[in-house]
Amino acid sequence: MKQMTIISGKGGTGKTTVASNFIKLANDHIAVDCDVDAANLHILLEPKIIKEEEFTGGAIATVTGECINCGKCEEACRFKAISDSETGIKINPIRCEGCGVCVYLCPANALELKPDRQGSSYVSETKFCTLVHARLNPGAENSGLLITRIRNTAEDIANDKDLKLIIIDGAPGIGCPVISSLNGVDATLIVTEPTLSAISDFKKVYEVAKIFDIKVFVCVNKFDLNLENTKEIEDFCKSNNIKLIGKILYDDKVSIYLSQKKFIVDCSESEAAIEIKNMWENIKGYLYGR
Amino acid sequence: MKVAISSSGTTLQSNVDPRFGRCPYYIIYDTETDNFEHAENKSSQAMGGAGIQTGQLIEKYGAKAVITGNVGPNAFRVLSSASIKVYSGVSGKVNDAIKKLKEGKLTETSAPDVGSHFGMGQK
Amino acid sequence: MIISVASGKGGTGKTTVATALALSVGYCQFMDYDVEAPNSSFFLKPYIKHTQKVTIKQPYFLTETGEDFSKCAEFCNYNALAVLKDDVIFFPELCHGCGGCMLVGPDGAVREKDVEVGEVKKGVTSPNIDYYMGDLKPGSMRTVSVQSALDKAIIPRELVIIDCPPGTSCPMVFSVKDCDYCILVTEPTPYGLNDLKLSIDVLEKMGKPFGVVINRDGIGDDEVEKYCIKNGVKILAKIPNDKEIAKYYSIGESLVEYDKNWKQKFENILKEIEKDLVV
Repeated sequence: MKQMTIISGKGGTGKTTVASNFIKLANDHIAVDCDVDAANLHILLEPKIIKEEEFTGGAIATVTGECINCGKCEEACRFKAISDSETGIKINPIRCEGCGVCVYLCPANALELKPDRQGSSYVSETKFCTLVHARLNPGAENSGLLITRIRNTAEDIANDKDLKLIIIDGAPGIGCPVISSLNGVDATLIVTEPTLSAISDFKKVYEVAKIFDIKVFVCVNKFDLNLENTKEIEDFCKSNNIKLIGKILYDDKVSIYLSQKKFIVDCSESEAAIEIKNMWENIKGYLYGR
Repeated sequence: MKVAISSSGTTLQSNVDPRFGRCPYYIIYDTETDNFEHAENKSSQAMGGAGIQTGQLIEKYGAKAVITGNVGPNAFRVLSSASIKVYSGVSGKVNDAIKKLKEGKLTETSAPDVGSHFGMGQK
Repeated sequence: MIISVASGKGGTGKTTVATALALSVGYCQFMDYDVEAPNSSFFLKPYIKHTQKVTIKQPYFLTETGEDFSKCAEFCNYNALAVLKDDVIFFPELCHGCGGCMLVGPDGAVREKDVEVGEVKKGVTSPNIDYYMGDLKPGSMRTVSVQSALDKAIIPRELVIIDCPPGTSCPMVFSVKDCDYCILVTEPTPYGLNDLKLSIDVLEKMGKPFGVVINRDGIGDDEVEKYCIKNGVKILAKIPNDKEIAKYYSIGESLVEYDKNWKQKFENILKEIEKDLVV
């Protein structure tokens, strides 16, 4: 069984569109949406939730006793999460990092760390495969733990059902959530575009991917937007021995099809569709092979 | 010698769990007396550094070796420091893994399996 | 007045709008809070005058004292410390710098030092923009620490424009927490609508007034517009889907450079926002 994560660095390059269409084309597989902050895979896949689980990560300091207004906690808090008022101290949940220092110092034992309900994870069925996804509550800390949780769930299901492939729609950016999306996979496909912002983020996310010993594939979306920048990406791939598996033309039909909740690979006149299908042909040998 | 095996259950018929830091249980098996106990792995709920916490737990149980699926670099560092041998890449039933260890059929791991996750827990 | 420019979905045009607004108004403080991947400098092309390191305090352990540091490892909620029989291993990338281990550990045997987690760059760009950018050190998790450093530089009596990171989790919330108004940028697609609703949820919970800019108008459908009208959400502007605009973007040229009419449009957006806030 192999695992592939599709990432982008910069948001909006077409990561989820490529992931969704690969999921339609694949077989013997399971899908995971690791963009738990703003999950989008479900929009095309239309999942039916069969299992929901609460996700509790981290903790928040909470006033549970009588505050004597001594100010020790406010002084000690490194995250500026405590302020005072007439009715005692107030804890700002946005700033609190659950370290427990205030709880330790409080002479009145008025503080406790309470687990923070941060979201939910789901196992769902779609027309194409099982989908494991999640929803992080607004303002929650996206530490990667929820992502690790849904990936573990997907691996368990894949092992149980003897599946051949896990397709992961990775988190955007270059931080912890991306790392959780990449940890232990066999391959990653970086979807980028020929703009200065995307190229800068592509190089950053490539550095992150390099830390893992995984096969890196790249595709350039809307490549005709700027041929010079596309060449820069091609040259970078060549000098770093990264396999460029596709260059997708800027194609308005992609968003039109998306708005109609249709898969672009079902459109026979779309250049983008042809290229995405080619990309899948290029990559599936590696994914299903030995 | 005591050996700790990451496990999805509490008996010798349980499967070896692939995740060093986030497995639900550890089976602590004494290869000399053939006695064993199981320990709940509280680290599985940690936000981060689960493997680091588990490594310390294993030392406290007096285990001199670990049998598991994957170990990340932070956890590996902790185990190496504690002079605990690591046998990773192991799957199947716990009792089969112990048998293989006794027969010398397991290879010791010299480097961590999965890339640095900056300590955010193993797969 | 502080205006944050945010978006649930990445790639909708936050930086496009934030930088265009700054260039149109001409006189403001511009803060790039997307410290993991700051991109505004491509469009504002600032002259950087000063770079300041952002540090947090992290512990180091005087193990030669032979003291027992177990209480430190037990206290640490981030598992940043492993205390073994013969060794103490500290994992700086997991440490939040809370100072707890120093409090509970053996007196004098746990000390602290400043560790760099990123930088804040300060500069200027024409016409009259004071530019600030946060840049997180690759591998560090301390996004919030770098954003906090930017917080300190804000001068609220001026117009402050904050370019936020995408999403609705902690880093975005940190970037909008002090704003007077939030501009939400979205695209007219099911992805855009889905993520717009998530962002609106966050802002409503935080009690922040907001308006919407629909970027790449025409690429999808009118569901976002219908949603805004139905829910009384003000649409501040619609930027059309235009391959030429995209080409300008790809080489770091602003919308305002592409079409000077946008300067007036963004000035009007600012006036609308000011009007909304007075009401």
